Amino acid sequence: MPPSRPHQSCEDFHRTAATARHPTVGVSRRQFLGWGLGAGLALYSARAMPLAHWMEGAEAAHAQSPDARILVSVFLPGGVDLLDSFLDVSQYPVYARLRGRYARPLSPDVLVGSTVSAHPSLAHGQGRGIAGLWQRGKIALLPGIDYANPDLSHFHSRRFWETGTITSQQTTGWLGRWLDLHGSRDNPFQGMTSGSRLSPTLLTGAAPVVSVEAPHRAEMKIPHVEDPNRRRMMRVYGNLARERRGDGPSAAAVRAAARFAQDAHHDIAPLAGKAPPPPVPGADIDHVVNVGGQITGYPKGSQFGATLRQLAFLLDQGLGTRIATVDGRADFDTHNNQPERLAEGLSDVSASLAAFQYDLEARGLSSRTLTFVWTEFGRRPQSNSSRGGTDHGAGGIAWVMGDRAAAGVRTEYPSLRNLDPQANLKVTADFRGVYASLIEQWLGTPADAIIPDAAAFPRFTLVR
Amino acid sequence: MARRRPKRSRRPSGSWTEAHVRRLFWRAGFGATAKEAHLWARRGKRAALDHLLDPSPAQLRGPAARVGRRRLDPLNEFNDDKLWWLDRMVRSTRPLEERMTLFWHDHFATRNEPTTLMLAQNRLMRRKGLGRFDALLREMAFDPALARFQNLNENVAEAPNENFARELMELFTLGSGYTETDIREAARALTGIRDRERNGQTVAMYFDPALHDGGRKTIFGQTGNWGIDDVLRLCVTHPAHGPFLVTKLWDYFVGGAPPPAVRDRLAADYVRSGFQLRPLVRAILSRPELYRHLDRGEMVKWPAVLVAGQLRTMGAGIDIPDWPWLMASMGQSLFSPPSVAGWEWGTRWMSSNAMRARFGVANALVRDGGPAEVTNGQVRRELTPDQHLALALRKVGSPRITATTRRELRRLIASYGRRPGLWERNQLQRSLRHLLISGPDNQLC
Repeated sequence: MPPSRPHQSCEDFHRTAATARHPTVGVSRRQFLGWGLGAGLALYSARAMPLAHWMEGAEAAHAQSPDARILVSVFLPGGVDLLDSFLDVSQYPVYARLRGRYARPLSPDVLVGSTVSAHPSLAHGQGRGIAGLWQRGKIALLPGIDYANPDLSHFHSRRFWETGTITSQQTTGWLGRWLDLHGSRDNPFQGMTSGSRLSPTLLTGAAPVVSVEAPHRAEMKIPHVEDPNRRRMMRVYGNLARERRGDGPSAAAVRAAARFAQDAHHDIAPLAGKAPPPPVPGADIDHVVNVGGQITGYPKGSQFGATLRQLAFLLDQGLGTRIATVDGRADFDTHNNQPERLAEGLSDVSASLAAFQYDLEARGLSSRTLTFVWTEFGRRPQSNSSRGGTDHGAGGIAWVMGDRAAAGVRTEYPSLRNLDPQANLKVTADFRGVYASLIEQWLGTPADAIIPDAAAFPRFTLVR
Repeated sequence: MARRRPKRSRRPSGSWTEAHVRRLFWRAGFGATAKEAHLWARRGKRAALDHLLDPSPAQLRGPAARVGRRRLDPLNEFNDDKLWWLDRMVRSTRPLEERMTLFWHDHFATRNEPTTLMLAQNRLMRRKGLGRFDALLREMAFDPALARFQNLNENVAEAPNENFARELMELFTLGSGYTETDIREAARALTGIRDRERNGQTVAMYFDPALHDGGRKTIFGQTGNWGIDDVLRLCVTHPAHGPFLVTKLWDYFVGGAPPPAVRDRLAADYVRSGFQLRPLVRAILSRPELYRHLDRGEMVKWPAVLVAGQLRTMGAGIDIPDWPWLMASMGQSLFSPPSVAGWEWGTRWMSSNAMRARFGVANALVRDGGPAEVTNGQVRRELTPDQHLALALRKVGSPRITATTRRELRRLIASYGRRPGLWERNQLQRSLRHLLISGPDNQLC
């Protein structure tokens, strides 16, 4: 009888990502994928192919254009308040009246060369965070961005921003459509969400894309079933996971997930025991990243920061990524207690995004990476009575960040004296015009095939 | 024990089989044991539905939940609240009541509120979940957990907070068919709900007329000095409400959208009945669409349904603390829905990560000391391949399997050759049980 093995299952549940803090030298992409990402990967719109095939696709894409530009889309959920975040100083008296005793004092961080005052929390983080990046000419600010007659439902408005249309008919995301037209059929890493769920902006019609969660162990071990019996069993598992004619969408999704889980496991099996621990930074790893002696400090304990840190690492792996997305963790839906909640949320955003930018610089990626930060709508200028809370409003805030961002305030700041009939800010920039500008100026392709009726929206200078 | 005799099956409704019972019990509850499938196939569809919808109080049967030696302490121990509810799903004699509670938890999605309030909300949903929708909605407006989560307690005349009013229309009652003005006006009408505190903790909500906006409001084109009850009534009597709720319940039990004619008929009956949920749910559970493709699964099991159903059909109880952790990996933490819109259903439950977590569920069940463990002596030497498979099926709750799965498992048994030794037989049996739980068939219902 084979020796008995320690009871394994419960231990398996409790084990989270093994930790590692060493360089990636000597780890092939294949190993990296198997060990580091493994079960954390979810593929979308992909044909049934083994992982190795996708890795080859990634390597080929990278070899073909190692310096291709990358667009990173960062979503801050909930609807960030424009006025408290970036205030037009000349309108301070009106702002103070609308917000009453919850108006923030005018902070010293009036952004250089503009009349916009940043929230003090936006100076948090390495190099004074977002305010510091502004000073270094790396931020293009877009106050008043939204669309005419905005729908103030989180879900409808998000969907519009995600699809790049203001109808509910469109199912693919605007970035997914770009990949459908300009991406490959063999490299899912071309479009990547750092996080557990694919961003709807990346939903494609045909091009494969991927989401990458913080890594877990990918093994599929079974207590007390030893090789070769385990292999036999897993062969049957694989057979059961095979595509079948007559499957409905649910069965097809289950089988696809099972195939992929097993694929990830297969890539590991030959390496087990030999490979170094996973090189992907996980949530429980030190928040400091050291690239060639350059230290980047992500905010401690921040999920958002950890996700961005993982993304910077992934972008550095030569996977042919063109589009990447990250969702913020803070909740900007500040119906109550806005002063405290916004300060906390913006502090996380500032410190995490600044760290990301410095990390990209250290990795030599900053000249070819542009980050676009957005939220689904703005908030009402007049606060409600919930300790300075604000309800959903129009005219939000977005910005572009990067070495190549056309620094400055790029849209007209909405007037607080001239509100719309619902007492909301008047929208001064249509987000579809901003999308079209990013597509043309950064990705270098025509916008009209991606954004319906693109010609109708004024463009903004976002890239220098 | 009664000796088993070959029995000719009597089917009162002609086409009502064990497969129908299994489908119904998985969709409206947490699966059917072999015994239940047999019993309710014999008694017929009407009796099975009567049984599921029986309004008499639930009892808990089977081994009570424990964690190690400890009994659950849902108010004080981390994750015990989740285990407490999971235990009800596993052991309640009224599984549909728990399924409806799960539905309402998703519908009136609330999280991050104190455990006492979350559990009180859970009990409310269980108590009222199959009664009248308008009554449930009224209670939800005064439910401390939801009211606090949606800032309804901060909605006062001088400056209304629109959060609750918006979700009331968008997520709770209508989905569409209202304007921004309707939301603002409804927010005004909903002003005045406050926390009643004891020792600094919210224990209930109450209405304070001094904080209520008593002025005239126009909602859905109707003008009046509307108050809280008026807004709720205007929402449930809005023509979009019936079809909205029918569509969502249909998606929950049947999957997908109902044919428009069926939807409209169900909605009309529901509104005419005075928003009675029990007959509506019964009507949906009776529809032929629910019983399509009985030979294969058509819906992805919710993580809670997978875990509770697995334990329930195996006659097992909760005896490890791991379920909340595993369920989170599958995408469902009870009492912590991901957004105000609840969980994303259907194929969105699936990813390679989620599937591996479902593999982990099988590990937890076949572990040493687990309810599906293989012990020496269970797998006798003289078992035929069919007996091997039958034993495995019996030990994991007699799940439905497709012909292809049966063939694959038979092939696995054959690969062990004739008369494998004890160690091999045990490994084979463990593999079979694992595959029956972790394989694709079992993720579907």
